Amino acid sequence: MDVLIQIIASGLTLGAMYAVSTIGLALVYGSLNMLNMAHGALLALGGYVCWYAMATLGLHPLLGVAAAMIVCGAVGLVIYCAAAQPMLGSANFETQIFIATIGIGAIIENVILRLFGPQPTPQPLNLTGALVIGNVHIPHQNLLILGVALGLMAALALLLRHSRLGRAIRATAQNREAAQLMGVRVGFVYAQVLALSGALAAISGIMISSLSGLLPNMGGDPMLKAFIICVVAGLGNVYGAVAAAIVLGLLEAATQYVLGVRYSFAILLLLVIAVLIWRPYGLFGRKQVVRL
Amino acid sequence: MSIGAVSIGAASSVRRDLILGGVLIALAILVPLLTGTRYIVTQTTLFFIWAIVVTQWNLVLGVGGIFSLAQMALFAVGAYATAMLGYYFHMPMVLAMLLAGIATVLVSVLIGLACLRLRGPYVALLTLAVAQVMYLLVANDTECFTNPESGCMPLFGGIRGFTRFGDLGFRALFGSKFYVGHYYVGLGLLALATAFSVAIIRGPAGLAFQALRDNPGYAVSRGISRFKYQLWVFGLSAFFTGLAGAFYAVNFAAVGPIVFSISVLLFLLSMIVVGGIGTVWGPLLGAALLMLADEAMREVGDWRDIGLGLILAGFVVLLPKGLAGLRLSWGRRPSQAPGDIPGA
Repeated sequence: MDVLIQIIASGLTLGAMYAVSTIGLALVYGSLNMLNMAHGALLALGGYVCWYAMATLGLHPLLGVAAAMIVCGAVGLVIYCAAAQPMLGSANFETQIFIATIGIGAIIENVILRLFGPQPTPQPLNLTGALVIGNVHIPHQNLLILGVALGLMAALALLLRHSRLGRAIRATAQNREAAQLMGVRVGFVYAQVLALSGALAAISGIMISSLSGLLPNMGGDPMLKAFIICVVAGLGNVYGAVAAAIVLGLLEAATQYVLGVRYSFAILLLLVIAVLIWRPYGLFGRKQVVRL
Repeated sequence: MSIGAVSIGAASSVRRDLILGGVLIALAILVPLLTGTRYIVTQTTLFFIWAIVVTQWNLVLGVGGIFSLAQMALFAVGAYATAMLGYYFHMPMVLAMLLAGIATVLVSVLIGLACLRLRGPYVALLTLAVAQVMYLLVANDTECFTNPESGCMPLFGGIRGFTRFGDLGFRALFGSKFYVGHYYVGLGLLALATAFSVAIIRGPAGLAFQALRDNPGYAVSRGISRFKYQLWVFGLSAFFTGLAGAFYAVNFAAVGPIVFSISVLLFLLSMIVVGGIGTVWGPLLGAALLMLADEAMREVGDWRDIGLGLILAGFVVLLPKGLAGLRLSWGRRPSQAPGDIPGA
């Protein structure tokens, strides 16, 4: 029983962290058909900016988080203006932006490496203490992560459903040309989506680094997992991504307990391949309209 | 365009490819005779290895339209298979390399069967994940499989990898000049790999992919199966990729998990993008240029990956067809220009 509670607690924390980084990716793919391979580097950047603001500048944690969100949002904007916008009309956009963002990710990651060095650094934004249920200790940090993630997802859902920006994002995602004809400034929407995704990446990066510590290349694995979650849910499906993130988080915690950390990623992948063979467009994905 | 025009165009292209290839091989044969500098010869050998990988990756990426990022994982299969056959079974290296190439084809077909029913970005993510899982399984392996005097040896060599699994015998034959032997083996493999790449691009498979790009509806109704051709290209190109990995292992007498690193993947992807995706000679040109650029950036060590990232992103944004595309658009228009809808 205790083991079960422990697995559920750490699984939910993992799932919540994945969900936050996944939402950013799903949002960008859903509206631009762009797989942002620089997302992992943005996670690391967010973590480092928060650490720098708190540990070196001595700012309040909330200011640290805000600074990280602003910096990563700005970098998201730069990615849009420098790489995505010039290629938007091109026929090979999906492939080209993928390759370009791999390059941009490498640049960001190595700039972080140059600025802050390769040694692992603990994230100062970290709660101490734990909640005790029976014999199980659940650190307050995990509860914080869970709470922030839930709050963010609710806020995002509200934003997508009720705000002007949200309607514009959904309209653009459904049909770019039609949205443009209805007077939506598509380029502006895209820019906002990338900035938003950058800010979400910052929060997710701070969460991940508060558990595992800061490293310049810390974003790679979470990004890959976030992508896998997106793929399982169906690329671009935001709500499906949240559900898939939590299921996969629980599953990862369970496989880690039963089989050991080494095999958890491999099992996850086998499962994903099985899902994709069964449903090539993801669990919640609609079949894309492709010309054969 | 009519079939006749294509085959005539293809024939003259093949003749041009053969002449160009012949000249390049002749020049390459002379290099070790003209220079006594070991560094130049060994770096050119490394160029041969990367060029093989890049020409085959180009077939998958540019010709087959399969956005696979598993290329270095396949390379690693070849390298590890060679090292393990030599280390555990003391097999002669020539035989081990051949078997490694075949093993890579098998692995590649398995990956292809799992991934190729998907499209574009799904394939990229899944292949990248496959590569990452292979890396994690190799690098995090700490259980001893055998326990020789040199220390614990996990089944896949763990984080240290394999050394001392045999060589091609050039050391016994040429003594300290053994690296010249490796040079010519590398050149021979590259010539074969390039010939294979020409055969695919100018041959029926290339035509099939061209048809699938130009008019997918018509191509499919004429019985051209995208999945079948993609699986063929993906599987066959893995042979030379695996062989390149095998030769890498033999050449450096060592294999480690470093072959899975993102940095290497980035380096090779940049070669293709800089040279020109989907062309015969573009990837070779890109490989040569990036090896030289890498040499120049060696002075600034830590900035190397930033430079690579800039080159990669810059070329995709500003010059998506690479240097080969630049030449084509300046000279005569490419024959397939009308109706060429890439990436459809």
